Amino acid sequence: MSGYKMVVLMKQVPDTSSKAGVNPDGTVDRARAKRMMNPFDKYALQKALEVKKAHGGEITVVSMGPPPALEIVVEALEYGADKGILLSDKRLAASDTLSTAYALHMVVKHVGKVDMVFTGLQTTDGDTAQTGPQIAERLDMPQVTYLEKLEVKDGVATMQRVVEGGHQTLEVPLPCLVTVANSAARLEPKRFADVFAVKELIRDKAAYDKKVTILDLDVVGANPDRAGLKGSPTVVGKTWKMGEIGGSCTMFEGGNAKDEVAELVGKLTADHGAILEEVLP
Amino acid sequence: MSQNIAYDVALVGASPSNLTLAHRLVDLAQGPIRIAILEKGKSVGAHLLSGAVSNPRVLNKVFPNWKEDETFPLEGICKESYVTFMGAEKVEDAPRFAVPPHFKKEGYAILSVSDLAAWMADRLTEKAAAKEGVVVDIYPTFPAKEIIYKGDAVVGVRVDSTGDNAKDILHAKVTVFGDKGFVSRDLCDKFALRKNPQVWGVGVKEIWETEESYEGKVWHTAGYPAQPGLYGGGFIYGCKHNKLIVGYVCALDNDNPNLEPPQLLQDLKKSPWVQKMLKGGKLMRYGAAVLPEGGYYSLPEKFAVAGAMMVGDALGTLDIKRFSGVDKAMESGWIAAEVIADALAKGDTSEAALAPYKAKVMDSFIGKELFEARYFKQTFHTYPEILNDAFPAFAAGVDAGRGLFGGALAFGLSGPFRALKLLGARGMMENPSDRGAVAYKEDRTYPNPAYKKPEGAKAEGYDRKTVFTTADIVYYAHTHYEEGVQHIDEFDKNVCYSCINRYEGAGKRPPCVGDCTAEVHEVMEINGKRTHKMAFENCVQCTTCEIVCPPKNLRVNAAPYGSGPDFSNM
Repeated sequence: MSGYKMVVLMKQVPDTSSKAGVNPDGTVDRARAKRMMNPFDKYALQKALEVKKAHGGEITVVSMGPPPALEIVVEALEYGADKGILLSDKRLAASDTLSTAYALHMVVKHVGKVDMVFTGLQTTDGDTAQTGPQIAERLDMPQVTYLEKLEVKDGVATMQRVVEGGHQTLEVPLPCLVTVANSAARLEPKRFADVFAVKELIRDKAAYDKKVTILDLDVVGANPDRAGLKGSPTVVGKTWKMGEIGGSCTMFEGGNAKDEVAELVGKLTADHGAILEEVLP
Repeated sequence: MSQNIAYDVALVGASPSNLTLAHRLVDLAQGPIRIAILEKGKSVGAHLLSGAVSNPRVLNKVFPNWKEDETFPLEGICKESYVTFMGAEKVEDAPRFAVPPHFKKEGYAILSVSDLAAWMADRLTEKAAAKEGVVVDIYPTFPAKEIIYKGDAVVGVRVDSTGDNAKDILHAKVTVFGDKGFVSRDLCDKFALRKNPQVWGVGVKEIWETEESYEGKVWHTAGYPAQPGLYGGGFIYGCKHNKLIVGYVCALDNDNPNLEPPQLLQDLKKSPWVQKMLKGGKLMRYGAAVLPEGGYYSLPEKFAVAGAMMVGDALGTLDIKRFSGVDKAMESGWIAAEVIADALAKGDTSEAALAPYKAKVMDSFIGKELFEARYFKQTFHTYPEILNDAFPAFAAGVDAGRGLFGGALAFGLSGPFRALKLLGARGMMENPSDRGAVAYKEDRTYPNPAYKKPEGAKAEGYDRKTVFTTADIVYYAHTHYEEGVQHIDEFDKNVCYSCINRYEGAGKRPPCVGDCTAEVHEVMEINGKRTHKMAFENCVQCTTCEIVCPPKNLRVNAAPYGSGPDFSNM
């Protein structure tokens, strides 16, 4: 086979633009929440698409989650991915990053020999940025985080990653795992013909089943005791609200700018005068 | 070479008209049929906005069980409707006996046309999946860019621009335009279908969450905040869950080059009467859309050409007299579906095969009611006294505590001949005898740099937290644009320079700036020249700027990648 065999790990997350499904205590009811493709993962998919465009190859999108997560796997096909796998198993419920990384690395192994694994920087729901690096360790692959640019030639990837205060250029042998920074190139919009092709694919069951599969822990050979709640030592002690955007607004209606500013200064002095005295010479 | 992307029917725009068409077509299907629906919004309904208090007569046909269906997005059923005359301080409901029957909305459904379309699309997908051989594919984020012809027959539309026609063109035996002119205007231009131009109004709308519930109450208002001469009115609809819709609609065939529709709505809210309703409330959403107001005399010569038809707002079925848009649009889709089913069965989608569509539409309640309302809009041009003198006198009467009757009396006494004339106006609106065809002028011919805005009464003492600058209110339209999208064409810089010069020279802003509903257009000093600039990312895609651009120098295209507002719930 010519080109590179790539896996992109993607997650379906609650739609952050929607308030649906947010419980009063701040936790998320995933059944009621609107869902979307984790925005960070789109950069990962774009990187894989770029490699495919330049060198050819095959992109398999892998996700883990309840059955609705299949939506983002199919959506990834519309963006140009070739195959999709959803790891879906009730025993995976309440996984922390340790057990998620364990389960996902088993899926990547199940896919077979791969040249590159791409992940997003983090997800918008967990925000840990731990899963990608953990999977690299489990796969015993070199990992590059915060990747921005990537060129591959003769089994070696030249990468540019973001570091504090600048960039770093690395040469990494394949296979490797990269987590892609959100300062990398944005995912290019879907093409009409690709979306059309996916709609036709869904109607052709035999062809669809060849491209999209739903797997459980047993198929990928994962130990159920290391998955889900059982395999997750992380305990969420407490969640609390950090406050909401917004607040009160005071209008100063002095009639002219001079009076309004005087009124504002007066109020600031009255409310925060003590602080002002401390900071002003 | 790869195969063409082909369907039997391509629907441009997931509008209530096209979705009704698709439902009906799937119901009528005797065998396999393939339908594609193109929608520029990021999801179905994202770019749809309407009042809307709607006669459910077509809804009843398409969805006999909509009232019992818990998933149906009903905002409320109108229980009380009022025509209310507003002064700046006081208001008065027109007495029930004086309210024309078509303003009585009791029993009508209060709808979010955006949510309605999303719901119709979901039902459609389910319906298609349950019927062997029926394919309905909905393509959100993919607008039609260009009509594709073979000779004089429409064979599809260009959707993408990869450069490979096999990938970019959606081929169809019949293409139906249910858009607001973004693409269908090209069809009308190519075949010179409209003898009379379409004339437009613009509506702006807010949704509030209020302390009190006004569920089932519907007000249509006249008077304040309209300046003398402005054809405009407010609407206030009480919905479930303490939701209150507050909106304003005005015609664009107006001398005033700076209508500032969003600010007319802010003025409406300053009225003490509306203030009381909004007290303690919270603004949730804002949006704007244009309405084809021409009605009967703006209808095209042909409703179909070979391979293509127009429905809903593309055709111009809205009835400004009855505020009836959604039901007539849906009915046009219902009728179109029957004609298409016949045509496909016969394997003939020529102009002759699709021609029965026009006769059927004109024979339905659409044609009958549009005919009966044919002089309604023109009445206000024939009798400028209505808007220039009578309405301001009524409003003053309401404010002065003399009531509507007192205002009317004062108006009558000030010029009995004029008052008598207005009886003729009522006849022209309500029970017209034939006066021959009306010739409209394009909206863009009206904005007059020399226009002098008459002083009107101003509402005082309102809560400043309930009114917004246009720049602030756009935030509530939730617009989102993909990087680099510039969907409005400015054809010739120099034409803009001279237009700016003409209007700014008279102390006005050019109409694109003054009539914009979302602070898109502005004039900036660049290299010493007053230059037209656009903030595309604000745009709610109402197309007002194109309609009012005096030198016809702007074109609003359907933005790609789902860019634009999010009008869900609107």
